[in-house]
Amino acid sequence: MHTLIRLLKPHEIVAGCLLCLILTAVSLEAPAQENNGNQKHLAITQAVMCEEIKEYEPHNQAAVFSIAAGKVYCFTSFNPVPRDMFVYHSWYRRDRLITTRRLSLKTPEWSVFSKIQLRQADKGPWRVEVKDHNGGVIKIIKFSITD
Amino acid sequence: MSAIFTQLNSIGWRDIIDILVVSYILFRLYVLFRGTYVFRVIAGIGFLWVFQRLAAYLGLIVTSWAMQGIIAFAAIIIIIVFRNEIKNVLQAKDVGAIFWGVSHKAFLTPEEIITSSVYALARKKIGALMVLPAKDDFQEVIQGGIPWQGILSKEMILSVFWPDNPAHDGAAIISGKRIGEVGAILPLSRRSDLPSSYGTRHRAALGLSEKTDALVIIVSEETGRVMIAKHGEITEIRDNLALQKSLREHGGRTADDQGARREENLKLGFAAFILIICVTGIWFSFSRGLETLASLEVPIEYQNRDPGMELLGSSLNAVKVHLSGAGPLMRSITTDQVKVRISLGKAAVGLNTFTLTQDNISLPPGVTLKKVEPQVVDVTLDIPIKKELPVQIDWIGKLADHLILESATLEPDIVSVIGGSRVLEKINTIYTEKISLDSINKTGRLSVNLALNPASLKVVEASNGKVVIVFTVKKREAGDE
Repeated sequence: MHTLIRLLKPHEIVAGCLLCLILTAVSLEAPAQENNGNQKHLAITQAVMCEEIKEYEPHNQAAVFSIAAGKVYCFTSFNPVPRDMFVYHSWYRRDRLITTRRLSLKTPEWSVFSKIQLRQADKGPWRVEVKDHNGGVIKIIKFSITD
Repeated sequence: MSAIFTQLNSIGWRDIIDILVVSYILFRLYVLFRGTYVFRVIAGIGFLWVFQRLAAYLGLIVTSWAMQGIIAFAAIIIIIVFRNEIKNVLQAKDVGAIFWGVSHKAFLTPEEIITSSVYALARKKIGALMVLPAKDDFQEVIQGGIPWQGILSKEMILSVFWPDNPAHDGAAIISGKRIGEVGAILPLSRRSDLPSSYGTRHRAALGLSEKTDALVIIVSEETGRVMIAKHGEITEIRDNLALQKSLREHGGRTADDQGARREENLKLGFAAFILIICVTGIWFSFSRGLETLASLEVPIEYQNRDPGMELLGSSLNAVKVHLSGAGPLMRSITTDQVKVRISLGKAAVGLNTFTLTQDNISLPPGVTLKKVEPQVVDVTLDIPIKKELPVQIDWIGKLADHLILESATLEPDIVSVIGGSRVLEKINTIYTEKISLDSINKTGRLSVNLALNPASLKVVEASNGKVVIVFTVKKREAGDE
């Protein structure tokens, strides 16, 4: 190494150092770009209303729920989940926002659900808007609460 | 007295026209129908109406009710029974005669009837003897008269003296407008200086004229000459005018046609005066009676709306209008006669507030506005826009316990709706009409209407506002029920 240094002239050493720096910078940039190309978006795979959740799965999916059932669930599955994040379940009755639930997702895939207790006054058409962490609507599920 | 002058001073030009128009209509009816039976019946109905109003004023309910019924019935009877007379008045005369013409001579006088009859008999050479009494009683002088009591007419006189009539030989006694007796035998004159051409008829005429102050008309059967006998003198009459003059003089009526016309004009003028007085009285009773207050619920009318805007709603559909006026006017006033109008010519999109004033309210004459409640009206105007909205099913009722309505989709699930921008701004979903679950027991499809609220919304699609629901029903698993 010392012999090589002695053989090279100083300006050649400076130029070599600059080249090394450039190559290092390029080599560091390349993996980052490759990483960005592989980044995945949050995708919803299932969004249903159901009477209950059994073993992490929706049970008795339906479009109409009776007050007698006592509660109703909104079940959503996401794959992929690119990073840990939140989604929201916003419950509307006749266009009026009743409640919003914040639910956390974990990578690489995740399922979450929210529920509401049913009362007599809840009868009517409902919808649940599933929103991402930015508030963008991913999915709308419509259902009704009846006698 | 001062109250009367105050009321007279309060009469406006409209009121004067009002009184004059009605008076003139009544006057025309009088002119057209005077002397006919129709006029008498109308006068009778008028009397009944006054009686009915009096009965109503005194609280005689049954009498008033009965009078009303009779008046209504009589009005129909007039039209049916006197349809020919009414037709004659309206058809036979020209328009001018109906609206302003005055027939000065509606009927012939007895003198004219007699004159025309006499010359008709003379032309046919039918002998006739007519006695027109004056003041003297001649019942003891004449004999064998047959009571007749017929209304004087040319036809009647001709038929009396018609040669085949059993009573044609004697004299007819004419008193006023009636033929009192026919076939009367008159005393014969005993004079010896009469021309040989005079027959029994002439001697009889002369005989009566010698004994009484009656005038006797003779129509010669042989020559057709007309003579009159009075005060023991026989005079030949050359023409009808001379005969008429003699008859008038005999009856003490020396006035000529001009005098008669003057008398008739006086009569018409008096009738017009009486009618104006009556109508003025009625007008005062209607418009200047005791002040009465009344309240009416009047719907608001909107006008001059920009066609590009839509009337979305208003805080009020009707206002309560408090009015005052004469009792009869107020009792007969209806909501149709009172208008509450708001001009939207200067209104803008959004909420517009209007304060109701006298200018917004039109009232019938004689009625004044006291108050409007409420005075402020909020009107919302909007511009129609089109918006695409998702449709959602509005289920109601109860699904059977052993069933699950697994899914339900709509065709189409989005519709284009036209409505006011401010309305559509707040609407995010259109719901179907309420769909009952009670009768659903298997998978199927339903065609349903959309529930558009407010009703001003309109669906653009050609499906007539209907959507189809496709639904899936499944049975619950055992243990789930």
